[in-house]
Amino acid sequence: MPAHCSGSGMRSRSTYLRHAALTLISGVMLVPFYWVIKTAVTDENIYAYPPRLLPENPHLFNFVDVWYLIPFPRYLLNSLIVSALVVACNVVFNAMAGYALTKRFPGRQAILLVFLSCMLIPFQATIIPAYLITAKLGLLNSYLGLALPLLSTIVSIFVFKAAFEAIPPSLVDAARIDGLSEGRIIFRVLMPLSRAALATNVVLSFIWSWNAFLWPLIITREPSMQTLPLGLARFLSYLEDTTGALYAFAVMVLAPSIFVFLMAQKEFIRGLTSGATKG
Amino acid sequence: MTVQQALRNRWVIVPLAIAVILLAWNGYVALNDGGMVAGRVVDRNGRAVADATVILLERNFVTHNERQRTKSDASGHFRFSGNNNHSLQLEAEAAGLGRSERVVVRLWFRAQNIVLVEPLRFAGQLP
Repeated sequence: MPAHCSGSGMRSRSTYLRHAALTLISGVMLVPFYWVIKTAVTDENIYAYPPRLLPENPHLFNFVDVWYLIPFPRYLLNSLIVSALVVACNVVFNAMAGYALTKRFPGRQAILLVFLSCMLIPFQATIIPAYLITAKLGLLNSYLGLALPLLSTIVSIFVFKAAFEAIPPSLVDAARIDGLSEGRIIFRVLMPLSRAALATNVVLSFIWSWNAFLWPLIITREPSMQTLPLGLARFLSYLEDTTGALYAFAVMVLAPSIFVFLMAQKEFIRGLTSGATKG
Repeated sequence: MTVQQALRNRWVIVPLAIAVILLAWNGYVALNDGGMVAGRVVDRNGRAVADATVILLERNFVTHNERQRTKSDASGHFRFSGNNNHSLQLEAEAAGLGRSERVVVRLWFRAQNIVLVEPLRFAGQLP
């Protein structure tokens, strides 16, 4: 057998092995998701032993129960409004901040240092001042108040900064010579060339706002302003024995963020890796 | 972006498909949410039970409470109207036959019109 054939055979065997290993690992990682979905479509007791691998008499009525037993559409609307606000503001504010940080100006290093330092402080440590500021602004129990702490995030600023730095400065100079303002340079020239960073911003900000629990818990006063994660906690306290409905609720809460991630995953991964190599 | 380009973009197609599905579903719901629940009462041998009292119970969070009663006609048929719930239970009682087994009826949406496929069945039989 020629040497190159043997080499190619080994390569394809190693590719198969690698794919088999990756498939196995993916399967193991998907088991919790499968278990949540399996429990959501049955009425079985999750503590039953031995556990069943396949669902018995699967049905979708647990989802109907969730929809009607609690004000699910209201929670969904609240979560959608807050997430839309967060995503829109993140894209605009982070792009502007990221663009500013690509420029040379006095104090730039200090600002970068402050940003990086702030990333080390957990949100729980700043929650009281954040609450007081929101209260002073009169935004408690409002959509804007719910979105406020996530309107701009440092990680996403760095993602935009890395993406903008990868674009040749001559392009920005040419746009400026053509008479474009700084705002138009960001949104007409740089943003269309930074789709990966844009998708990363959308995915991250959406997931963070969609899953936020502590902040909405603190600043909402009425059940009608609560978001889905709070509704999930409330549902758990009401219906602690109906595991199927609870898991159905968890699936309904998770589905939109997984959906957004799947839609943007290609750009999202490209955006994160470009941030990792250029930052 | 032209219309043709937009129709090839997944950020347009997928939300559009979801919107169409939602519209179709809501149209179906609007056409079928009359709140009618109908069925039949039979004895152990499948013979129609006339004048049986049929009780409709609706879900109230964790319990089922009685909401309506009606009587079956000569052919054993019964019919409720004005149901506004998505999770029901039905049972029948008749003199000499006792009570039927309680049947759980789960609907896809509130007030869905439904005709039970399986009748309410008494354990006993008519003389």
